[in-house]
Amino acid sequence: GCWGGFSLQPLVDDTEDVSLDFGNEEELALRKARIRHPLATFFHLFFRVSAIVTYLLCDWFSKSFVACFVTILLLLSFDFWSVKNVTGRLLVGLRWWNQIDEDGKSHWIFEAKKVSTSIAASTEAEARIFWLGLIICPVIWTVFFFSTLFSLKLKWLALVIAGISLQTANLYGYIHCKLGGKKSITKVTSRF
Amino acid sequence: ELQTREKSGDEGGGVAAPPPMFAGLSDVSISEDIPVEGEITVPVGSHSPDEDYSTLDEPVKDTIMRDLKAVGKKFVHVMYPKKSSALLRDWDLWGPLVLCVSLALMLQGGSADSKDDGGPQFAEVFVIIWFGAVVITLNSKLLGGTISFFQSLCVLGYCVLPLTVAMLVCRLVLLAGSGTVIFIVRLVVVMAMFAWSTLASTAFLADSQPPNRKALVVYPIFLFYFVISWMILTFPPQ
Repeated sequence: GCWGGFSLQPLVDDTEDVSLDFGNEEELALRKARIRHPLATFFHLFFRVSAIVTYLLCDWFSKSFVACFVTILLLLSFDFWSVKNVTGRLLVGLRWWNQIDEDGKSHWIFEAKKVSTSIAASTEAEARIFWLGLIICPVIWTVFFFSTLFSLKLKWLALVIAGISLQTANLYGYIHCKLGGKKSITKVTSRF
Repeated sequence: ELQTREKSGDEGGGVAAPPPMFAGLSDVSISEDIPVEGEITVPVGSHSPDEDYSTLDEPVKDTIMRDLKAVGKKFVHVMYPKKSSALLRDWDLWGPLVLCVSLALMLQGGSADSKDDGGPQFAEVFVIIWFGAVVITLNSKLLGGTISFFQSLCVLGYCVLPLTVAMLVCRLVLLAGSGTVIFIVRLVVVMAMFAWSTLASTAFLADSQPPNRKALVVYPIFLFYFVISWMILTFPPQ
């Protein structure tokens, strides 16, 4: 052997302090935290709930129909984008999108992240908040649809329909991811 | 002794579990002066699934910037329409939303009934634009077009840009008065922008149709932009 000249010693001396890596304490706290992506969780609910609240209270905020309409529409659009592109992948590791290949054919792709044990993975609480927010809001907009229809306030109908379509699209996309995501994973990895 | 240098930390994303290291190499002897090195990376094309797989973890700012740049690129493409299939593939509806809202905002307040607070006109413009775009898309799909539903909506929506510019110009011009000259200026501007919109959208959409059906696809687009131009032109001077 080539270890000549060194004498073997036990790795840890009795008198030596074992130094703790302080980074581990933070990781431990993160691992125990119930919500690891506070900002994403907040924004997931913020846009949806603000849109609903604005719709209900628009008469108090402003007399102008146009201002309310544009505000709610913008809130719904931001909500759609953020849930589709950000909170879905951060909170539950799912994602869906549309892709058009060279032939011009359109494919809808649904992805699910394989279970990861890293500390940045999402928690039970986050997933619960995600799905509750995803399911309850389209239901509320459907209720609005019927109330608008029957109270004949038809100028709001366009907005309610837009709200229902955007939120249901996300709901459908993510349910599809959840149920069928495993198939996409194997499809992608088989390319290697 | 065998010396190997591997790139640390790359897993080649989804490669099947590698066999135990150095199995089968124990009987290979290589001279010590020649280091054996290599990279374990899988050559991949720039095809989207691989890109997107890695974008599953990208920071939010990147996502926002990427989408904003895509929208900006499309606006530029409308102003200089040359056929680019790469542009067509990357559709989004942000541009049409922004254009629709701005056009509707500029068009409201044109009714004689001022106590209406512009409500119905705003919703009307909105519905005309989106419903019109959906009908045109359905029409072209029924005629056997190869373009996808959302791509078509995307193109039609973005090509409203010249007309939105025309509306802006009209409103500015109307601030200067309301004579015949002003009307002629407005007429010329609106007609020019209408031609631009129609040409830009047919440049993108007509190619997805078989040649004997191009006119059948073009005329609803013509009608659609005509209706919008009409709304712009008849916007009453205050």
